[in-house]
Amino acid sequence: MEFASQRHSAEDFMAVQELFHSRKWTDGLPVVPPTPEAVAACLEWTMMTPDHLVGIEPVRARSITAEKLAVNAVMAGCLPMHFPVVVAAFTAMLQDPFLLHGATASTGGAAILIVVNGPIRTELGMSGSFNALGASDRATSAIGRAVRLALYNLMDVRPGDVDRSTLGHPGKFSYCLAEDEENTPWLPLAEEYGVPEHASGVTVMAAGAPRQLMNEWTTEPAEILDTFAAEIKASMRHYSIWPGNYAIIVPPQLRDHFNAAGWSKADIRNYMFEKARVLRRDWADCGKGAVVGDRGDREYAGLSAPEDLLVIAAGGPAGGFGAVIPPWYGNKSRAVTMAIGACVDCDV
Amino acid sequence: MSLEILDPTYGGGTAPFAMAGRLESLRGKTVGVISNGKKGTRPFFSALERELLETFGVASVERLTKSNYSAPADREIMAAAGHWDAAFAGIGD
Repeated sequence: MEFASQRHSAEDFMAVQELFHSRKWTDGLPVVPPTPEAVAACLEWTMMTPDHLVGIEPVRARSITAEKLAVNAVMAGCLPMHFPVVVAAFTAMLQDPFLLHGATASTGGAAILIVVNGPIRTELGMSGSFNALGASDRATSAIGRAVRLALYNLMDVRPGDVDRSTLGHPGKFSYCLAEDEENTPWLPLAEEYGVPEHASGVTVMAAGAPRQLMNEWTTEPAEILDTFAAEIKASMRHYSIWPGNYAIIVPPQLRDHFNAAGWSKADIRNYMFEKARVLRRDWADCGKGAVVGDRGDREYAGLSAPEDLLVIAAGGPAGGFGAVIPPWYGNKSRAVTMAIGACVDCDV
Repeated sequence: MSLEILDPTYGGGTAPFAMAGRLESLRGKTVGVISNGKKGTRPFFSALERELLETFGVASVERLTKSNYSAPADREIMAAAGHWDAAFAGIGD
């Protein structure tokens, strides 16, 4: 296989690490050496040539090839079988509504949340159960990191370079989870957003850090959702009042109550659309009185429409812990869902 | 045993661009200001506009604001820029 990338040589594994660290090609953690053989294995798995165009980043007009994406995926620890998810996630990120440059350059410090659906989850051993948001398994860790390293090396999204984040958050190492489709009657997230039934899909969202919540003192769906809505309202008061995609992670213990009452994801979205609202004067209680002005009674919705809410089933079997994942900044970036293994803009 | 590894960085070509020609003077010229729309730009660009008009003798200043401060300038702004003699693009928080 012919590669366009420049080739380097290093004496041994440790020399590779020092080379990559010295050139700021990694995130501070060790990398798997991207040998031509390892990169070729990723490309062969996806039946892509090295010059296959994954997409073009619209602001800086950078063409992202399968070869370069594979180099970074290998570095992150991906196996060849993980690579289709990396390709789909990056393809989704390059779509205009995602606004990749803004989302990764902003002082707001968002990371790329990747949600995986469909049969590929089980093929890759992805788990949407224990520790779903924190290094639950090899595939989710490596795929999330691959996207981050590709941003480093293909878009210069390094701290202080294109990445101007004031704080960032730990999700920037890896922020990938698989939905727990086996333990819920709910529609998978990707299917709700257009991926055919039984196909695999990925959803990407420019996202803040997860905000964990707990409610183990009720079985009423509305009361449980009031806790989620309270967390969204807190984010609107403390961070950004503007509406956008929010994701909520609902664990099995809480899902049991929705299932018993017959609540679908659509029911949850409709309820949250009505409940996740604040008044501008609420800012006065948290030190932002200076910007309340004469519009204190104006109401702000956290969601522009019910469909803005991504409802995700994930988490270990015990514990009434859920999470709200806020958007980077309102509607400036939109979550994008894409089928895995599908061709974008192909004439078929 | 040495390892051969592939370079992970972009390495491709980037869209060519060059610095615009410098003006001898701003006097009598039309100057555009592209604001990213953040609150902090308002007093800053107002002060800049005063300076341009009062100190440098600029004929007119057109201030346009992007619809999304995290995205490139809108097509309307780029079209307007076609009749400017000079432009300021600035960010503010």
